[in-house]
Amino acid sequence: MFCPQCGASTADGTPFCSNCGRSLAPSPYPAQPGLPGPMQGQVPGGYPPAPHVENYLVFAILATVLCCLPAGVVAIVYASQVNSKAQSGDMAGAQEASKNAKLWCWISLGSGLAVGVIWGILAALGALNNLH
Amino acid sequence: MIHLGKLDSRKPDSRKNLLLSVMLAAGAAAVVALTVFDPATSGVFPPCPLRYLTGWYCPGCGSLRALHQLLHGNLRAAWALNPMAVVLLPFLTYGMASHALVAIWGKPLPRIYLPAVWIRVLCGVIILFGIARNIPALDLLAPRVLHP
Repeated sequence: MFCPQCGASTADGTPFCSNCGRSLAPSPYPAQPGLPGPMQGQVPGGYPPAPHVENYLVFAILATVLCCLPAGVVAIVYASQVNSKAQSGDMAGAQEASKNAKLWCWISLGSGLAVGVIWGILAALGALNNLH
Repeated sequence: MIHLGKLDSRKPDSRKNLLLSVMLAAGAAAVVALTVFDPATSGVFPPCPLRYLTGWYCPGCGSLRALHQLLHGNLRAAWALNPMAVVLLPFLTYGMASHALVAIWGKPLPRIYLPAVWIRVLCGVIILFGIARNIPALDLLAPRVLHP
């Protein structure tokens, strides 16, 4: 059979997955592909992709360096929470942190763009003043 | 941005595609603008608000000028302006390319997985770098303009 968590192949009857240590005892979530449960929609063949929750770290760093430092740092902190919660198996918490990381990336980008627009207006006004 | 699995399933694909097109176009426009205009002299790019209001350097100060220098192949000049940006750039580029590929072909590049501790260390490094470049003894880290 295949481990429902990491997809590793394990001998039938083994109580725990030799790869990730998950209990392989019968559970309300059947591991066989094709049966209803959390494995629905996964790739056929019994190898589900490793659980991955987007943490937006790349955008959080870009936002910190290029847009708005404080909001970007908040996004980086949420990005680290995504990974720490996913590591401890708290997928709901990781999804929640992922949402917040995304939100703060947008807040940072928005404030960066706002500064850019204000700068553009000021520069245009300054250019007009210099004409007189 | 695009790869969200469950969270994004609410959004229609056309909205995703529009967002993707806008972001790719904005990225391309930014690269062209950064190649043509030097942020050090042109006035096209806004100054860092922190620097403008307080006179302090932030961790990102000099990164646009550094990108301009890199686009012209001047690694040394870029390094003098913002060494952290030069170090981070390959990883950020890889990450952005991966995100773009997910949106275009549905498959990312092999993921570089960072344990949560490393992300916190990175966050600390960015903040400490920002503080350090304001300390006179460490002004080697502040944006320096090399005159060739």
